[in-house]
Amino acid sequence: MEFVWTEDQREFRERIKSFLAELLPDDWERFSQHGPASPALTEYAETVCAKLAAEGLLIPHWPQDHGGAGLDPWYQTILAEEMWRAGEPRGGQYMNVNWIGPTLIRYGSEEQRRRYLPRIAEGRALWCQGFSEPGAGSDLASLRTRAEQAGDEYVINGQKIWTSYATLAQTCFLLCRTSDDRKRGITILLVPMDTPGIVVRQIPSLIGEGDIHEVFFDNVRVPVTARLGEEGQAWEIISYSLRNERLGIPRYALARAALDRAVKILQDRGEFDAPLVRAEAAKAVALCEAARTANYALVSLRARGEELTAESSTARFATVNCERSAAEFVVEYVPNALVDEHPFLKMHHQRAIVAGIASGAAEIQLNVIASDVLHLPREAR
Amino acid sequence: MDLTLSDLQSSILTALDSLTKGYSAPDLHDAPLSTQSETLDRELRDGGFLDVMSDPELGAVTAAIIVERISRLPVASETGASMFFGGALPAQSSSAVAVMSGARAPFPIRYLAPGTRIVVLEADRTSYFVAQPDQIRAEPESLYAYPVATLLHMPDDRATLEIRPEEAQRRWRVALAAEIAGLLRAALDSTISHVSEREQFGRKIATFQAVRHRLAQAHVNTNSTYWLAMKAAATETPEDAAMALWHAQESARNAVYDFHQFLGGMGMTLEHPLHLWTYRLKALISELGGRAGNAAAAADALWPREMPTARR
Repeated sequence: MEFVWTEDQREFRERIKSFLAELLPDDWERFSQHGPASPALTEYAETVCAKLAAEGLLIPHWPQDHGGAGLDPWYQTILAEEMWRAGEPRGGQYMNVNWIGPTLIRYGSEEQRRRYLPRIAEGRALWCQGFSEPGAGSDLASLRTRAEQAGDEYVINGQKIWTSYATLAQTCFLLCRTSDDRKRGITILLVPMDTPGIVVRQIPSLIGEGDIHEVFFDNVRVPVTARLGEEGQAWEIISYSLRNERLGIPRYALARAALDRAVKILQDRGEFDAPLVRAEAAKAVALCEAARTANYALVSLRARGEELTAESSTARFATVNCERSAAEFVVEYVPNALVDEHPFLKMHHQRAIVAGIASGAAEIQLNVIASDVLHLPREAR
Repeated sequence: MDLTLSDLQSSILTALDSLTKGYSAPDLHDAPLSTQSETLDRELRDGGFLDVMSDPELGAVTAAIIVERISRLPVASETGASMFFGGALPAQSSSAVAVMSGARAPFPIRYLAPGTRIVVLEADRTSYFVAQPDQIRAEPESLYAYPVATLLHMPDDRATLEIRPEEAQRRWRVALAAEIAGLLRAALDSTISHVSEREQFGRKIATFQAVRHRLAQAHVNTNSTYWLAMKAAATETPEDAAMALWHAQESARNAVYDFHQFLGGMGMTLEHPLHLWTYRLKALISELGGRAGNAAAAADALWPREMPTARR
């Protein structure tokens, strides 16, 4: 058990820091308040990701066969920590490199890999995630959007909601029902967003413009070859994807950066002497470090070639705790952050709002832990 | 960075589990207020488990791993103080080591008995003495589930140890955080066994979401407590040690309440061994100033206060 970075890992982190220091514009902190899915940040992210790709820093953890450098998961973690610490300038493309690409590598057909992976690797792809529906949020398995096979096509009808990036994404990673079996009746289709019959409506939100949408599917036709994996395999595939997603978002790095910034603001104002305020800040930092070590424990297993287990929900819940604690500290002791005086802190707050909701609500993580980590008996259905 | 156990650490834990196997099952129907085993203590000493700190290949992380594992046992065995301070004490002896924060008496101390080597964490030095029979009052009715006695008088002729006060506090925080991590894990396991069997309203208690979520949160906190303790052992920084102990005490406070709630009447009796872990946790919640003291210590280490400049 070792808690030190190798020389190579330290150099890798410094390389990313220098790259970002040179790349990000002077007004980045104010600019970053545009939501990750806003047109402004999406456009900017394409520039950032293209440059990261040129530097070999977009997908260094992917296998060499697919354009990566085959680096171990620690490099993915270092890269993600530095990106999140800066406010995630990759915008929605973080999803591509974290889980959409790896999921396509693992479950995609040759044609799907050829079609989608190069564009992701070049930093030019944007995906949206068609999971939640008005009647299927945390209870994802009750989704009703239907795909009926008609010859060599699927015909899709239904509605998705709270979909990020939907206006600008080229492709939707869509969950559809192909039979009535609750979980084994769900299938993944990779749907081009310019397919006739798709209508997107933006929903104004607290987390930045362009971030949340409704997506309507009205007799949308895609070829059978758009199916990822087999019919009914979606639950298995997204369980794999979400474990990667949960580990691939080091929110603790941004939360810690926000806390450090908040403390500096209070120090500069001469308002950081009160023992209770100092203690509250230390507790929030401790929760960030708790989340960091919980995540590192899983990265260690993955670096040894082991599959991620339900313990990724443990790390995810610790991360939600730290995000909440950091955001609440700022609201309580640096309240002017939310009226735009401290753009970095406002940006953090907007990112933190979704921490316990997106990619599986915090309470769902507790359900997973209770059943699959602690093995508590379940109530008979 | 690699948080998996090394081959050597795995081997040590395998040997430790083998040695403690006979002590790992609590008596489910007649648990004492506290329980110890001189045989186990001797076997741990003779097996060299308490000496890993002095082995450069093993060091503090392995010591913390061992403390965490031993503290899961229903029997109380003094390991943390011996492992983290034993090497600094002048007299080699097989007696237990106790650590107390501040030179205060009368005060209850874990593992205090005639001959116990007492390390006193003071503001300006770290001192040491060997407890004498006339300084001690036994406390057989203590609820704390450790062997506890009260130190009646603090001797003035304490020897000074060559450990800076800050360093002594840091070490003790790591040892305590590791011990709490093990106690939390054992208490959680014990609670899970109960709620997985006990039925109310025609269902096992563990099927109620109000119970499941709190147990899941206890797992999250126990997991984080373990990793923060290990990290603090490795980095040897005062901020990591203080954050680890604050997190451990915060987690303990929440878990102890919840676990006893879930055991209901059974947890109030000595017919169930839960108290062996929860009342040890209660003893450790107050160490080094409790949550307030350790949060303040973490803040001071993270953001040192500026020394006031002298006026002309």
